[in-house]
Amino acid sequence: MLTLILYNVTNGLMLGAFYVLMALGLSLILNLSNVINFAHGNFLALGAYMALELTKVVGFWGAFLIAPLLTALFGVAVELLMRFVYRRDPVYSLLLTFGLAFVMQGLMLWWWGPTPQEMHMVPALEAPVSADLFFITWYRVFMVAIVIVTVIGVFAFLRYTRVGLRIRAGTLDLDTVSALGVNVKLLRTFNFTMGCLLAGLSGVLATGAIGINPNMGDDLLMPSFIAIIIGGVGSLTGTLFGGLLIGVTAALTAAVYPAASEVVIFVMLVLVLLIRPRGLMGEEGMLT
Amino acid sequence: MSSATAIAARDEQPLYRRWLPLAVMSLALITAPLWFPRLGGYTALASGVLVFGLAAMGLNLLLGFTGVLSFGHAAYFGLGAYGAGLMLKYVAPSTPLAILVGTLLGGLAGTLFGLLIVRRRGVYFAMCTIAFGQIFYYIAYKWNDFTGGFDGLRGFHREPIGFGALAFDITNDTPFYYFTLLVFAIAVALMGLLLRSPFGRTLRAIRENERRARFLGIPVERHIWLSFSISCFFTALAGTLYALLNNFADPLALHYSQSGYFVIMAVLGGMRSFWGPLLGAAVFWVLKDFLSSALPTEWMAFLGAIFMLSVLFFPRGMLGMLKRRGVE
Amino acid sequence: MLEVRKVSKNFGSLVAVQNVSLTVQPGELRAIIGPNGAGKTTFFNMISGYFPPSSGSIVFDGRDVTRISAHRRVAFGMARTFQITEIFPELTVHENVLSAAEVAAGQRLHMWIARADVGRAERVVAEMLALVGLSSKANRLVGELSHGDQRATEIAMALALRPKLLLLDEPTAGMGDQETYEITGLIRRLHRDNKFTIVLIEHDMRVVFHLADRITVLDQGRLLAEGTPGEIAASAAVRAAYLGEAA
Repeated sequence: MLTLILYNVTNGLMLGAFYVLMALGLSLILNLSNVINFAHGNFLALGAYMALELTKVVGFWGAFLIAPLLTALFGVAVELLMRFVYRRDPVYSLLLTFGLAFVMQGLMLWWWGPTPQEMHMVPALEAPVSADLFFITWYRVFMVAIVIVTVIGVFAFLRYTRVGLRIRAGTLDLDTVSALGVNVKLLRTFNFTMGCLLAGLSGVLATGAIGINPNMGDDLLMPSFIAIIIGGVGSLTGTLFGGLLIGVTAALTAAVYPAASEVVIFVMLVLVLLIRPRGLMGEEGMLT
Repeated sequence: MSSATAIAARDEQPLYRRWLPLAVMSLALITAPLWFPRLGGYTALASGVLVFGLAAMGLNLLLGFTGVLSFGHAAYFGLGAYGAGLMLKYVAPSTPLAILVGTLLGGLAGTLFGLLIVRRRGVYFAMCTIAFGQIFYYIAYKWNDFTGGFDGLRGFHREPIGFGALAFDITNDTPFYYFTLLVFAIAVALMGLLLRSPFGRTLRAIRENERRARFLGIPVERHIWLSFSISCFFTALAGTLYALLNNFADPLALHYSQSGYFVIMAVLGGMRSFWGPLLGAAVFWVLKDFLSSALPTEWMAFLGAIFMLSVLFFPRGMLGMLKRRGVE
Repeated sequence: MLEVRKVSKNFGSLVAVQNVSLTVQPGELRAIIGPNGAGKTTFFNMISGYFPPSSGSIVFDGRDVTRISAHRRVAFGMARTFQITEIFPELTVHENVLSAAEVAAGQRLHMWIARADVGRAERVVAEMLALVGLSSKANRLVGELSHGDQRATEIAMALALRPKLLLLDEPTAGMGDQETYEITGLIRRLHRDNKFTIVLIEHDMRVVFHLADRITVLDQGRLLAEGTPGEIAASAAVRAAYLGEAA
């Protein structure tokens, strides 16, 4: 019984870790560039496929390091396209990423086919932590550890570096930042790339948890949205909190009433929209 | 040149020049079952164009004329479809009732949801519409017993309209096409009236300069909510027709990708024009049909590429470009 | 006409306006001046209803409007223009002013109107255009007009609302001498001939001293001084606040 609960909870926490990582990436892009990256789930899948291919060449650890970077590089290329539409009505940037999602999905489907593929995991990671808790493999621990490190890294970067400061200022008032002489175009590119890096990293981490297929990121996209809305648009801390909240809530619900663990996320969304539409940590006046 | 001078120039044209495009289009639509199959299409596809055209035009009330982006209109489309389907399957074999209930279901859902988010703007507003729409997708997907789950709702079909000897059987494609055209025409006429009214002009004012509109004394939030609500009713109506067209309602009709299709149709055809979304729906729907059968695995990539190209290079859409050329 | 009592505004820990009070009599022209960052526009925004004050109250025409939304204040008789002209650039001058007139006539909010009402709004438009001197440019697109004419259009729109109080936010901002002269003349006519109550924010001191009955000086969010132009010109405190600023 306890084992079952623990099983569900660990699953939930793992899921929550993915939610957080994905939501953070989405939030970064959203806050600075005012763009909803519909292709974010596809970037995750791209990261996974990159890892799959790279493992054959440089082994798992090599893939782990390089795949997110390659994904980020692809993100740079995408962002260059986005530059055409930043000035215009937001509908265009949304449609652009929406179309991009289709393109990426279609291309990945075409290149790698629809059958899910398995990743050859490093044997050491596949081993469980203890005999009793067989479902907690070292991989899961590794995964959660990486997520924690990454999140701390992102926040530290934003807080303590100059670029991070500019990004934070830019989310509040990009025009002023530009007037201060900062190259806003470069800033946006960098920010977008960081978001894609996080998505790519999620993809790499996902290879050890779920099968690799072109749709793998889709199920994470919506919860990431919800995490952002619940946490409060415009606030990265809010997103973090939102991601954790839905992750944990889903985990706990899974322990008690597994069938409801997906619904509960939507329920929370509706509750937040009803009671505190700006999100838990959103600023009033964060209208865009 | 801008829309205003275009309007002015247009008003100075002789009457027949203004009504000619409309007349031609009406003629084309009325005779579609005759010429469309000859071009490689089929009547049900033409019906589909009308259905999606109506949905996109409904969305465009909000997007193109009020300047507010919703990326979740599929929710109301799908609710209309499921509402109609469920009515026909479980309650009564009456097409008009199914249409009524479906439209009300989707429209009221939109009205209530609109109240929640009317103070938000821009991408945040869009995000909320997406998330809310997904709730219904999820429900349709999971509630297997009631909605048929992933396979969709089946087991209903179009019922003849009328009583006894006056019954109009719409089971076949062609009669159904004309039925759809009739509903479409009525809906579109209503929309046109609405947009020509002072209410319609107020919506445009909000689109042009929300702050100025507010400081002219226009209750902006209320108008946005009304626009949102009305657009949901029209889109839901289109949804009921969708269910009748296919004798089938599926969760994908509720998915945000469907919402995206509506937006693309409006943008592709021209957001700022009344008929633009219909044109966009025609091009998009026929193209999608063609691509998905010609390239079963790659069509997504092509479709996506078309989205991206049109966004990058044809932001004003087809009618938007024509307007510019016509005036110059 | 307008009574602002001890109004303050905080944005988080930033205090933009602190305890400012102001009373404007009907028919008065009040100028609000102060160095940059003094909180003038924030103050204006609270009066017009763009956002509510953190504390204090605003009474307009005997009515407490402190928490009332902007569009309803317009209905009560407040009309404002903005520092960056807010008009409908893709419409003609005529259409811009017409939209204001229609709202004032209560027409815009309905889904249908009677034909007789249409004429009424048109008459108002013609009147307002004549008042600001834009009758000859009525069918030009506002977006294509000069800065001064755009401002004049905006003022015509405000006037078409039949306001009791006109709020002008830096009406001469970004204008050259000739345009400044023309706008100032317009405002003066509105004040002297048409007896409008006007509150305006201005940086250009020539304009201020030429037009104002009374002047309120803000500095760093606080009320620094208030009085007739003569008193303000003589005030050492005011001059100190402006030290380094071009007067």
